[in-house]
Amino acid sequence: MRHVSARLAGLAALILAGSFVVPTLLCAEDWAQFRGPNASGIAAESKNPPVEFSEEKNVAWSVELGKGVACPIISDGRCFVTTMTEDKKFAVLGFDAATGKPLWKKEYDVSKHKLPEITPPNEHASSTPASDGERVFVHFSTIGLIALDAKTGKELWKHPLPMPFYLMGWGAANSPIVHGENVIFNLDDDLSSYIIALDRKTGDVRWKKERPEMLGGYAVPVLCTANGRTDIVVAGSGKMKGYDPLTGSERWSCNSLLRTIMTTPVVQDDRIYITCQSYGDTSRVLKFALLQWRDTNQDGKLAKDELEEAFHKKFDKGDTNKDGFLVGDEVSAAFQSPTNMAGGGNIIQAIRGGGEGDVTKSHLVFNLDEKTPSNIASPLAFDGRLFMVKKGGISAAYNLKDGSKVWTKKRIGNFGNYYASPIAAGKLIYVPGENGNIVVLKAGPEVEVLAKNDLGDSLIATPAIANNRLYVRTLHKLFCFAEEK
Amino acid sequence: MRRHFALSSPETSSPAKEPSSTTSTPKALYPKAWGQPRSGATPGQRMKVYRTPKGFHKARTRFRLCNPFGVVFSGRLNLGWRRCAADPRLLDVTPSAYSPQTSNTSDPVNEGRCRHAVSADRLSPSLTLRVTFGRVIRRSSWLCLLATLALIFVPSPQRADAGEFVQIVHGKDAPAIEVYAANELADLLKRAYDDVATDVDDHAKRRSSVTVLVGSPKTNELMSLSFKNWPEVSDQGIVIRSREDSPVYAVGGGSPAATLWAVYELGHRMGFRFLPRGDIDPLEKKSSIDFSKYDVVLEPQLRSRTWRTINDFAIGPESWGLEEHKRFLKQLAKMKYNRLMLSVYPWQPFVEYEFGGVKKTTALHWFGEEFRVDGDTVGKKVFRGAKVFENPDFAGLTTSAEQHAAGRKYMQGLIEAAHGLGMTVGVSISPLEFPREFQKALPGSNVARQLKELTIAPSGGNGPTDETLRKLVTTKIRAYIETYPELDELYLTLPEFPEWDQHAEEALALLKKRGASPELSVEKLVKTARNRDLIASGQRGEQAIRGNLVGLAFFAEVFSDGSLLKRKDGKSVELFITSVDPALFPVLDQVVPKGASTLNFIDYTARRVANNRELLADVPAKTVRSQLIMTLADDNVGVLPQSALQSLGTLTAEIKQLGWDGFSTRYWVPAELDPAVYFLSRASWEKDLTAEASFKELWTSATGNAAAADRLWIAWQHLEKATNLIDENNLGFTFPVPGLLMKHYKAEPIPKWWEEANEAYTQYMIELYRVNGAIEGKPKAITFYYAKRGEYVLEYLAAVKAVREAAIAKKAGDTEAALEHLEAALESTYNCINTLSDVAQDQSDRGVIAVLNKFAYRPLLAEYEKLADSVE
Repeated sequence: MRHVSARLAGLAALILAGSFVVPTLLCAEDWAQFRGPNASGIAAESKNPPVEFSEEKNVAWSVELGKGVACPIISDGRCFVTTMTEDKKFAVLGFDAATGKPLWKKEYDVSKHKLPEITPPNEHASSTPASDGERVFVHFSTIGLIALDAKTGKELWKHPLPMPFYLMGWGAANSPIVHGENVIFNLDDDLSSYIIALDRKTGDVRWKKERPEMLGGYAVPVLCTANGRTDIVVAGSGKMKGYDPLTGSERWSCNSLLRTIMTTPVVQDDRIYITCQSYGDTSRVLKFALLQWRDTNQDGKLAKDELEEAFHKKFDKGDTNKDGFLVGDEVSAAFQSPTNMAGGGNIIQAIRGGGEGDVTKSHLVFNLDEKTPSNIASPLAFDGRLFMVKKGGISAAYNLKDGSKVWTKKRIGNFGNYYASPIAAGKLIYVPGENGNIVVLKAGPEVEVLAKNDLGDSLIATPAIANNRLYVRTLHKLFCFAEEK
Repeated sequence: MRRHFALSSPETSSPAKEPSSTTSTPKALYPKAWGQPRSGATPGQRMKVYRTPKGFHKARTRFRLCNPFGVVFSGRLNLGWRRCAADPRLLDVTPSAYSPQTSNTSDPVNEGRCRHAVSADRLSPSLTLRVTFGRVIRRSSWLCLLATLALIFVPSPQRADAGEFVQIVHGKDAPAIEVYAANELADLLKRAYDDVATDVDDHAKRRSSVTVLVGSPKTNELMSLSFKNWPEVSDQGIVIRSREDSPVYAVGGGSPAATLWAVYELGHRMGFRFLPRGDIDPLEKKSSIDFSKYDVVLEPQLRSRTWRTINDFAIGPESWGLEEHKRFLKQLAKMKYNRLMLSVYPWQPFVEYEFGGVKKTTALHWFGEEFRVDGDTVGKKVFRGAKVFENPDFAGLTTSAEQHAAGRKYMQGLIEAAHGLGMTVGVSISPLEFPREFQKALPGSNVARQLKELTIAPSGGNGPTDETLRKLVTTKIRAYIETYPELDELYLTLPEFPEWDQHAEEALALLKKRGASPELSVEKLVKTARNRDLIASGQRGEQAIRGNLVGLAFFAEVFSDGSLLKRKDGKSVELFITSVDPALFPVLDQVVPKGASTLNFIDYTARRVANNRELLADVPAKTVRSQLIMTLADDNVGVLPQSALQSLGTLTAEIKQLGWDGFSTRYWVPAELDPAVYFLSRASWEKDLTAEASFKELWTSATGNAAAADRLWIAWQHLEKATNLIDENNLGFTFPVPGLLMKHYKAEPIPKWWEEANEAYTQYMIELYRVNGAIEGKPKAITFYYAKRGEYVLEYLAAVKAVREAAIAKKAGDTEAALEHLEAALESTYNCINTLSDVAQDQSDRGVIAVLNKFAYRPLLAEYEKLADSVE
């Protein structure tokens, strides 16, 4: 009996000790897609995420990975990332989110087909997965959409999709989301843009909507509930559109955006906020970019062999006089919709959701032409302000309510490029720089830098926050940071 | 079940099943020049016999073998023999003597995929001699049947997946370089052709559709047997030959090194483009090997193609580890560079010697600079966690003994690697400079005018006959020759800033005693030196010529004893005198030690030399073997992307015309050197090749896009324009030393040429991105690298401008504006370094990042913080 008591006491001690060593995730918070809940970048349940961390400090766990720029996600106590492994193998990996213990690894040999052109810092492993807790959904350019068992990594279904093509060779980087029973995936490229909903259990197509007016872009769909109705909202070339989640039918369009949309909007209450910079001014429609960069011999006209074969059909469509060249407006006619000749510029917009038809005049709450937005890093709607950061570590914030300035052009003390988007938890804003520094700001009406944390590697992927832990995928490594208790 | 095999002629089978129609490489299997039918079986029968122009007889027939499982083996039997005096080794090299293909008629997809090849001659060579055709046919039929059975039941791993099997044969006792050449050829073939299997050996094996003999008649007997009319070539001559009657090729040269170059020349003709940091493979793999169109005999136009390495800055090859060097050397061999010059400095840890009770202890790198790359270092991701930037072969070494041991190992490794590639190796030293510890051993010496003042040099107190100096120099030279007993050349550099010009008259008198023309006068030479359009003109020119005379007189004394250059094995190293003053060019043969060659430096940049190219004609190139220092990228122009391609084109044409022996390169950062290194490699062998033609040929071949090549040429013209603007206006603009950026922090007007240079670099970058969007593969990665470096330079120029604006604002008392400009400069400096780090690919790139952090970013940050503090 004494022995039994001793064993029980020992077991209790072990359990007690274990509870300190490995924090349990009883009320697991998820960050199950690009930028977490509804791509907001906000972990509402995490009140005490780490402020200071580095390659050595506050590292709960870390693993070496191959190259990749997709964000980590957290779902039901698991962390999922994608990577390229060895030569031309694409892999999805599952880890225990608390301990970093590898759970599974699913590899795809993608060497059989020529991988699409990409422009650094993009990488082939660029699509952020999404998860419903039971499944992990991920896109790869030459495969399409894949669903894997979240527990085992076993492939559940695969839905081939056409390989995207980009006139400027950026490469694929679109990410799915989960809504209701469907996986929603929007892919805007320069060939055949579309949004598609697949049954998350079977992979069957529920609906597909072509987006012929759209050029290449990377906005992730977000959900906006207004007037008692939820819309899937997608920002694209020149237009923000709302779709019926059940049928994919287009409910509204706000035609106030720019030519190239790489940022993802954020939603708060019934408003959708988008900030974006697109090269040049409003007159810079696509043809100028094409004639500058794709007219290799600079003769002022595009020849067919100056474009990839994939674009030749579009070329033929634009070559109205059939002289074998695209000249002047023929360039536009080939690639840009006549009903959507958006140009460049800067926008900071708030659009009210829940509209019908063309809402450009009726639902545009404010539209600021300020040189503060980034072309890639999305904004953060947090603590009553719309926060943004761009190259040079120059930040700006506007009141969510009316777009009035809180501050502009304030440096956060970290130069360089910004591809990852800011995120927030508790009272903190995390601003990840490409140079591997994550600046932690105190949320408030002024810029207050709390820490600058150096991870020593390129950082393109937006980190994830769940259960007071910060998950950061650098170019070669995955870190989980947590404050030491 | 009875197994049944039947031999039948193809005439009995359907033409659709004709095996030759299913093979992927019929051309290689059936050579073009079989000659005309002579005798034997009548047309339409099973065998045709031919007589080739070379006196060989050939017989061939087609057959089909069927087994009960429905598998049909069909093929063509080729037999070759010589009527008399057949040599079995010769038969070894007759390819495809028997080369049936299998065709599984039930599986059209696999039709022609497998090929069996075996030499019937090899099976029984004696049968092919002095027998009637009929007997040959009969016996061969049996042999054929047996061989076919063997192939059916003894599968060969090669035949399973190889569409074409290439036998590469080097000589039985071939030099290691020729064996290496043979293996290199095998590698190139596999990369250039689909479905090729190769075998490299010193004898031919049975089954090959193509045979390549590697070496020369001296090193590979089969060469002389198979190629009777081997051309007379020099030790550098390249030969690529083919036989008319069969796919047998010879790739060789007048020496093992030349054989290696011949392989790479063949590779070039296959579509490879060899560049300093890697190969560009052919755009598409070909299906059929046929080298008959490549019959070439080449002799170099420039016999000395010297690559200089090590040098003296962190941005240059002094930072490259041995492994990185070896990779680079392999690329240089592919471009037929044939000499390696190890340019070392007195303070470096590559040799130890003792004199007058003083032991050399100085063992530094990069003039003793240390580059911290941790903490706030911008772009530190490229250093992968290192605390300081180091040459990996010297990492963590602290003591002089450790450094010297590593230095010896490093140099020895370089020498061995270069020798293994057929290059000769020389060491270039400054014989008249010594580390500071030797000052007490050389009374009268002064601290030399050099960065960091790390060395001493003779001064007025040491004349050209100074005995102590002679012994010290002798000790140093012997230390190199004995430490590196396999050195081939010794380059002795005359001082850049000589300080013992007081003895010029005495020196000239000494030279005259040794044969210099009595007409020579110091006065005339000084006048010439003062009035020329070189950096060393005016007072500096006078100092240069006077110092040169003393140095040359001193060398004449030192090298009057021929034993100084003797190696342990009794051979002598070849002596080069480097940097003889151009005023002495007309009498070069009179002033350098007898038998010495010269390596001539005229000015810092290729543009400046091209502008003074009339000086080249003064060199008596026929009596003194002379090389020209070709500056590909100058350290004074500095850390920015630069090109001197068109000037190099001018100079190359000039020295070829004047009969110079060759050139030696000079550079630090290899980044944009690809076209220049490539041009020199090709122009050394092609008489009239221009820089533009070479450039366009390179990029058209590499990208398959002539328009892209044209735009790249435009980009390079912009780059050269920018380089020239810096050279003309501010040589030293980005010299990688302290003050790199902050020397512009002075309240002076912004020079107009900055804007012009900025515009040239902008256009350069735009063209590169334009091309980048139009091409694929490795050239795309290369142009992206160039384009990002174009971005880097624009950020750097923005920083320079902002620094100047800050200084102007500060002087005007507008501290706030000054701070704003400094902040802009900081951001630009940060961005420029960060941009570099995005594409850094070698130690030089990392060295530039380390240098920019130390000499640009941190001093700028310190000034910004100082000024900000003063406001607070």
